[in-house]
Amino acid sequence: MTNGRKSRPAAATPEKASRRPIGRPKAIDVAQASLAQLLQLIRNGRATTRLDLERKSDLTRAIVTDRLATLQTLGLIEEGELGEAIGGRAPRHFRFRADAGAVLVAILDRSSIAVGVADLTGQMLGEHHEAADLSLGPDALLDRLTTLFLWLMGEHGGKNRIWGVGLAIPGPAETGDGEPISVLALGNLSEWRDYDFVSEIALRFGAPVFVRSSVQMMTMGELKSDAGAANMLFVKLGRSISAGIVSDGRLHRGANEAAGMIGHAATGENSQVSCHCGSRGCLEAVAGGDAMARDGMAAAQQERSPYLVDILARNLEITAADVGHGAQVGDAFCAELMARSGRLVGESLAPLVNLLNPAVIVLGGTAVQSGDILLAAVREGIYRQSHPLVTRDLRIVRSRLGASSGLLGAAHVVAEELFAADTLQNWITLGAPRKQPELLALINVARTRRRVAPSLPLPREPPS
Amino acid sequence: MIFTGLGPHGEHAMPADKIGLSQADAEKARASRFTIAVVLHSTTSDWSRQELAGIVAALGSHSAAVIEVIDCEFDKVTQARELHRLANERLDAVISIPVGNADMAEAHRAVSRAGKTLILLDNAPVGLLCGVDYAGVVSADNFGLGVIGAELLSPYIPEEGVAGILTYGVDFFATNEREIAFRKWMGLHRPDVTLVRDKFPTLGEAGSACNRLLAENDDLNGLFVAWDVPAIDAVAAMRACGRDLPITTVDLGNAVALELTEGGLIKGIAAQRPYDLGAAAGIATLLALVGQQLPPWIALPGFGVTMRNVVEAYQVVWHAPAPASLLRARKLE
Repeated sequence: MTNGRKSRPAAATPEKASRRPIGRPKAIDVAQASLAQLLQLIRNGRATTRLDLERKSDLTRAIVTDRLATLQTLGLIEEGELGEAIGGRAPRHFRFRADAGAVLVAILDRSSIAVGVADLTGQMLGEHHEAADLSLGPDALLDRLTTLFLWLMGEHGGKNRIWGVGLAIPGPAETGDGEPISVLALGNLSEWRDYDFVSEIALRFGAPVFVRSSVQMMTMGELKSDAGAANMLFVKLGRSISAGIVSDGRLHRGANEAAGMIGHAATGENSQVSCHCGSRGCLEAVAGGDAMARDGMAAAQQERSPYLVDILARNLEITAADVGHGAQVGDAFCAELMARSGRLVGESLAPLVNLLNPAVIVLGGTAVQSGDILLAAVREGIYRQSHPLVTRDLRIVRSRLGASSGLLGAAHVVAEELFAADTLQNWITLGAPRKQPELLALINVARTRRRVAPSLPLPREPPS
Repeated sequence: MIFTGLGPHGEHAMPADKIGLSQADAEKARASRFTIAVVLHSTTSDWSRQELAGIVAALGSHSAAVIEVIDCEFDKVTQARELHRLANERLDAVISIPVGNADMAEAHRAVSRAGKTLILLDNAPVGLLCGVDYAGVVSADNFGLGVIGAELLSPYIPEEGVAGILTYGVDFFATNEREIAFRKWMGLHRPDVTLVRDKFPTLGEAGSACNRLLAENDDLNGLFVAWDVPAIDAVAAMRACGRDLPITTVDLGNAVALELTEGGLIKGIAAQRPYDLGAAAGIATLLALVGQQLPPWIALPGFGVTMRNVVEAYQVVWHAPAPASLLRARKLE
């Protein structure tokens, strides 16, 4: 499977290359290219009538007619409404069938999982979020994810409609040649080491899986939303703190998929708490969600925050969300803690703002959902330490998508990967990417080392 | 007060009893004399009546008037039409319970695009953005309600038994969450139990869906029904075919409360506090109207009700003494 650097299952590439004929391309290869070209034009809305398709593709009328018929037979396009007549019969528009398949998406976080289903344009159709404990290990999490995916597909048309799976993981999606993608952030948990989580998902759902870090998926979600801009930063303020960088409309991912790890920027705070990276004073260790929860717990135990004292009595724990809620209802300690965290985040972001000159910074994550205090403090930290030229037109806003941004981003990542030019040519004559011989071969390989899959959640349920 | 679920977009719950108006906000609200419309899926259920009572009381105490209450009768077309109409009415805010998911997003968006404040009950349709399309969501912890429903049914399901789920056949966040939670709890704590399910696309078909489930699963040992109104239909369907399976459900309506108290088929109820939720929705509306940013998900946890605590629970839920029929059944009268 892929972390997105390759758009096809990696294991299939050498075999395919060895079978490619030399010299004049076969007719089917030509058909693949023209089918893919026309589908892309229709899908992107750049040309939707026969005449426009002929002009934009430089294909003959006969070929366009033939290919449109094929695309309709494959269920990838359908006839739409009539357009405006220009001196003759009104032209018929064609439109991409976004419901020809579905995309499953998931976000694995340290304390929660989210799942969703989207159509082939990346439009979300349904989602669900729930608490999860990743320390239970990959088997338990995989089973839960499988159960939720099956439930979602039961509600949205069945497992065979799945064309791809997008997976956001809590850390860089790092991989070496031929190695499984590791969930780096969980690497200190022995059960996660060398567990081929991604291939297991591909095996269970028979579809290609595309993996990114959570912050990259969230950045893609924000980029596709109204908040998005060609030059933007997305900053996730959760248990970890990290940034997604968009430059000229493209996500910058870094040489090791690890761009934007601003949580490990030194703050100069005299903290005794060690970061998991081994250093002290890292932004994440003094201003992240765990730090907020830790400081909030201390305040509750020492009765320095009336709000948190009450929450501790009810829940027997304090979370960063509780601190945010306390700030929102006017608890002085919580407000000060949020302001301090925000200021530290802003000061750490300032060098990045000087370096990249983004048009917009979108703040997301649990801590951001609670009022304006943190947002104001981040702004203050950035403005104070950035050059006036880079902040003159800078907008700093709160994410409106919340945790859904990761799901939305994952849906768009999968859709873009499936319809990327070289990927599309691979499967277009088959009608769906899940039928690719390369994918089936990869799944067979994965099956040989498969673990025991959970039983289906609805073994006796009639098909919906 | 522990929440087990997350909000429609993964939000952490803000306890409903923790929100309130400051003196300055309250004075501002009273001076503004806001006008609000309430759009409900139904106005005939006990839950709806209690929720509406809470909304009206909270708004009324701050000189805000509920000028219209709309009963959509669970119909998406009706709700869309009414929301588009309200978008053009002279009012300040709309409190609405969406009767669908993504397909109801556009109609709700029309309200906020017309400059009205929108507070959602129970669900934020996929596609709507908090802070842009709506000010906040107020709901029960529906995931927690499903957990309670499973916990209450489990003792009635024998080893290697079969438990049924009778749920709403419409993509609806609240009932989805209850079902997912019910399944999760059973999977974790009763992996020996086989789960089967049927759905009713409209309330009028709950009885026939129950009959179908019974016919297809003659080894069924118990049933979880998504809320109280279809649960009573399931009770009637079972009685009609001579079955007497234990049922758990959500919402402490009068009919299920009496069935529970009399030792009938209803064995347990995951109760919401609709009056308190309504009051929280009213306060949230006023906060948004005076310009305060709301937490995206304001929630109240549910609690389990059995024959042992039904009278006390009734008083908590209904803010009223339990009716004589309940007291007689508990031999308290």
